[in-house]
Amino acid sequence: MSERNRLRSLLTLVQINGLIPIRTQPLYLINLVASPLSFLFFIWIVSRGADLAYGVMGGMVLTMLSVGTGLQSDLTHYRHDMKFQDVVVASPVEAPVYVGGMALSELVYSLPALAVFVILFVYYGYATPESSAVLVGALLLVWSFATAFAFTLATYFQDVRETWMFSPIFSLVLTVLPPVYYPISYLPGWAQVAARFSPTTYAAELVQGAVGLQHLSFDTAVIDWIVLVGFTAALFLIAAFKARWKDP
Amino acid sequence: MGFAIRTEHLRKVYPGAHGASAALEDLTLDIPDGRVYGVIGRNGAGKTTFVRIAATQLVLTSGSATVLGHDVATEERAIRTRIACVPQEARPLYFLNVDEVVYLYLKLRGLDPADARARTKDALEQLSLTEFRRRTVSRLSGGLRRRVLCAMVLASDAEILFLDEPTTGLDPIARRQVWEAIRRAIRERRTILLTTHYLDEAEALSARLALFERGRLVLEGTPEDLRARVRYPYRVTIQGSTPREELQSYGRVSAIEGGFLVFARESEARDLARLALERGLKVGLGPVSLEGIFLDVVGRSIEDEGPTPEVEG
Ligand SMILES: Nc1ncnc2c1ncn2[C@@H]1O[C@H](COP(=O)(O)OP(=O)(O)OP(=O)(O)O)[C@@H](O)[C@H]1O
Ligand SMILES: [Mg+2]
Repeated sequence: MSERNRLRSLLTLVQINGLIPIRTQPLYLINLVASPLSFLFFIWIVSRGADLAYGVMGGMVLTMLSVGTGLQSDLTHYRHDMKFQDVVVASPVEAPVYVGGMALSELVYSLPALAVFVILFVYYGYATPESSAVLVGALLLVWSFATAFAFTLATYFQDVRETWMFSPIFSLVLTVLPPVYYPISYLPGWAQVAARFSPTTYAAELVQGAVGLQHLSFDTAVIDWIVLVGFTAALFLIAAFKARWKDP
Repeated sequence: MGFAIRTEHLRKVYPGAHGASAALEDLTLDIPDGRVYGVIGRNGAGKTTFVRIAATQLVLTSGSATVLGHDVATEERAIRTRIACVPQEARPLYFLNVDEVVYLYLKLRGLDPADARARTKDALEQLSLTEFRRRTVSRLSGGLRRRVLCAMVLASDAEILFLDEPTTGLDPIARRQVWEAIRRAIRERRTILLTTHYLDEAEALSARLALFERGRLVLEGTPEDLRARVRYPYRVTIQGSTPREELQSYGRVSAIEGGFLVFARESEARDLARLALERGLKVGLGPVSLEGIFLDVVGRSIEDEGPTPEVEG
């Protein structure tokens, strides 16, 4: 496939899985706004407004991760219930184009949530060129590793029901244990160690540092970036070598 | 003319199928290009397994297979740009409408929008789907959904089309429309690998046929070749009461509504028909259909080997 055709495939997937389903079921858009906004609301109430910034930054990270959960079940559903992956495999569309297009299409659903958080981000005065750059970089990496992880898992599931069972584990590893909504120092020692095994922890630390919620030394920030990029690269490698594009 | 697909000693054992026989065993086949190649066989014979290996969707266990001269195990990319497939259990995405299923599939394959538009219109017309073009897939009947998938791949620019039971659930008229579309694809010099349980369909469309049984190739050739290779190439139907034992000396007998069907060699078939006529019974005589061949060959292999063991997946 030429670059031009790849781009066309990618955009067609966004149309197929992102834009057209919204035409038939607009509630999809509300679905992904609901949980990060509920967290934001809790944090706002419990901290009496003080920790709102954690809710905003955590909300963005969580939204990007939910792209992964959605992707995982869509890919599994399409693969088993429609044999859509088989249709795509026997076509010029390569696996990275398919997964990339599907991951972009999931991003469409998260746009309302992201829009709300970006407005709050600007409104509360967190937006500086540096913080915005860190935020965009970290969120892109979260989106990337969530996509790679979701694709790999989706090719192992035998049925979409398995993804429902797995979703809570997915969230536990990627969103609950990692300190997305509070500083890592709030966690007991053992949990801090456990959280260090999740790439989300580093992304959260970076965005919290970027808006001054916690002090990050230059060295810590550099290490966080390296670890985050390393995790993402590792998940890409696992996807490239272990995901089942072709059935065994 | 060259070969579109070639396999040598192809073998497939699904992972975890301990002790079970292979899904494909020692399959050596040459499939010519520019024709319909039909694959028939009972449920579980290995048809889908073969299609999926050739369509680069499934890993083979041993042996080799090439598609358009490229190895399915190592040169998938070169193959995939030139093929299209309707998997056996595929369903079109339910939230798209009929037009979108075809058009977006073509765009997904990289066709430019104007070309995709024209091909979509053409394919929908050919399969009488134009009146449904704005209808959402979830509101279509099962047969119409299947037709939409056929339209989708027939509209593509692929050189080889893999159609795994494309006409299952289609009404007789729709089925013939698909045949017509398949014949047109052949006129465009494309190759079609077709699996079907409709033996009249396999016979009407295929230049060559392969009959699979328990993962093995048991018969291969043109429909005429196949007929020449069976034990009983003629069928005699007899309506009226005759002792079955008497008929058994002529060939293989099975009971049908109001009489018997006998598969026999040419001379025995003539003798039997004459005898039945002398007794004033109603008689039909003719060469066996593909169905007759199938029943003869597969029936014999069942008798030889006992019931087909259930293979656990
Ligand atoms: N995913 C799988 N895992 C394990 N075994 C499988 C799998 N798919 C098929 N088999 C086994 O491989 C054999 C061949 O199956 P295949 O689907 O190729 O048959 P088929 O000829 O297409 O049958 P049908 O006419 O029912 O579609 C069967 O014994 C089946 O149980
Ligand atoms: Mg099959």
